[in-house]
Amino acid sequence: MSEKNINRREFLKLTAVGVAVAAGTHAVSPTKASSDAPKGKHQWAMVIDQSKCTGCNYCTLACQANNDVNPDIQWNKVIEDGMVGDQKVYVPRPCMHCEKAPCVEVCPVKASYYRDDGIVMMDYDLCIGCRYCQVACPYDARSFNWEAFTGENPAVPEWGGPQVERRPRGVPEKCSFCYQRIDRGLSLGLTPGVDAEATPACVVVCPVGARIFGDLNDPESNVSKALRENSSYRLRENLGTGPRVYYLPAVPTKEA
Amino acid sequence: MFKKLRSKLVITPWAIWLGILGIILLGGLVAGILVFWKGLSITNLTDLVPWGLWITIDLSSIALSAGAFSLCAGVYLFGLKRYQPIARTATFVGLVGYTMAMLALVLDIGRPDRFWHALVYWNTHSLLWEVTMCVMLYLTVLVFESMPIFANFEWFRKRFPKLVTKMERVHHYAPILAIIGLGLSSLHQSSLGATYGVIKARPFWFKPEMSVLFMLSAIVGGISLTLFASMLSSRLTNKARTNDALVERVAHFVGYLLIGYFYFRAWDALSTTYTYDPGRTEGLGLMTRGPLAFNFWIVEMLLGMIIPMILLLYKPTRMNRFWRMAALLLVAAGVIAFRWDINISGFLVVMSYVPGAAISYTSYVPSLIEILTGAAIIAYGLAAFSLGVRYLRVVDHSMIEPEHEKVKVDATEPVTV
Repeated sequence: MSEKNINRREFLKLTAVGVAVAAGTHAVSPTKASSDAPKGKHQWAMVIDQSKCTGCNYCTLACQANNDVNPDIQWNKVIEDGMVGDQKVYVPRPCMHCEKAPCVEVCPVKASYYRDDGIVMMDYDLCIGCRYCQVACPYDARSFNWEAFTGENPAVPEWGGPQVERRPRGVPEKCSFCYQRIDRGLSLGLTPGVDAEATPACVVVCPVGARIFGDLNDPESNVSKALRENSSYRLRENLGTGPRVYYLPAVPTKEA
Repeated sequence: MFKKLRSKLVITPWAIWLGILGIILLGGLVAGILVFWKGLSITNLTDLVPWGLWITIDLSSIALSAGAFSLCAGVYLFGLKRYQPIARTATFVGLVGYTMAMLALVLDIGRPDRFWHALVYWNTHSLLWEVTMCVMLYLTVLVFESMPIFANFEWFRKRFPKLVTKMERVHHYAPILAIIGLGLSSLHQSSLGATYGVIKARPFWFKPEMSVLFMLSAIVGGISLTLFASMLSSRLTNKARTNDALVERVAHFVGYLLIGYFYFRAWDALSTTYTYDPGRTEGLGLMTRGPLAFNFWIVEMLLGMIIPMILLLYKPTRMNRFWRMAALLLVAAGVIAFRWDINISGFLVVMSYVPGAAISYTSYVPSLIEILTGAAIIAYGLAAFSLGVRYLRVVDHSMIEPEHEKVKVDATEPVTV
């Protein structure tokens, strides 16, 4: 009987120690316990002003050219979404680069992953083509390469030249916030969002300045300011994915 | 010499059966080569419906293989030893089923050459990673569990008697293998449900019950298919012998399981709208009124659950071999319909990310290439099982395996009947 009691006490003690240790490690390194994107020096984000967007599709074309995208696929899609007053409203949709991206969580081989700067990247050499990320993405941001893109890119050279390798057949692809432009720009001492060469092609090409790009970690960046001064929303926010693409809603003009 | 050859080429029902399966396999082989050569563009899969017929075959073969782990657990862990001959059949059905699933998966992924990546580059957050690992490990367990079955191959016995003895000895580890099998199967059978259940983007799938439903339906369907296959083979060939009393007892048990499965499936489906999330009511509408209504009400509910439940629980129909077989086949078909409905319903409802936009619908009909390859995968399964019945005595309830407790005494003696 007494032996049993001791055993139980020891068991409880051990449990208490175990819980304490677990809690301790959690307190020391909270970021490691969660699957959220790591927070690096920069946190890139995009703000799209719907009251300015005219649905011209220049962003889509510049994206096709710079990222050498198959004309059947659109990394950046512009969708018509009704009217506000007498103005047509559009929702341009790049990849949302979610803070808690479903595609990263479900990928069986870690082909989708977070960069330190928040960009959700694809490793096209790891991908097995199971398409679970496509199933999981709430924004249809991923397109599968059902066949190889071998022909000429109709968007080149009018809208720019290819800066990245074409993806092979059998893997899904998506917007990368033009990481190649950001990385090259930073190495040249430029500021993404300010200097055109370091900024995503869709932002640079936009003729009405509906897109703003920049670093959320920098309170003086264009995106931080835009988000401070305007009310904004994100797509399917209720899912808790934490998109890094913000929208400034179109508001009726005063006369309307 | 020609005479001898001709005398061998007598047209028997067996030869016709193999001939038919051979033609389907050939068609599938051609179609499969086309898939690898041309890529997935020749399927009817799209960015909106990226998983279709193949994933249903994949899910169904894994589900209908669940007889292996559940019956092995019953026999070796819960002490229901007299059902051992049925567990033996189930193990072989499982081995065939999992290899079928592998074939379907290799076709389905865009980069079959990187199939091994899941084993090397681990994303432990991914349900699909967990399923892949469990399936690979469980397939290994099934290979070990089937060793004593393969030891029955006459040709093999004559040439490698020593190896055969070793293979038979694996049987003594059956209880350990049953424990590992139970663990791995519980994990991946339910994780296949969770694969759909964790997808927040598609509210019709997003629910925790998905895992339990997949597990339960797999056990019901898996046991049913094993019993049906055993009964059918014993009708068609004298190479298969069943103990009808044993089959009848397990079939009775399936009848009770069906009550639980029916209750849970019906409750789960009809309570879908409790949360009023957009997309859920639309998904339910597809099943109850839309293009999946026949599948849901008739194949799943009526033919797959209610009718077999009655046939298996009502003694006169259960004792009648025809009605029992019919009921067991219907259960298996119902589970396949369940897998199809779950997979496709989540895709057909297209959730818009544009604020305030209405929910739209898409459609999917498998292409000829998908059907040909799918049929070939099923034909492979049928051929493998038929060969097993004929040459490995997969269905033989008169066979008595050496008792696994008496390791030292009877172990090395080959079974002779």
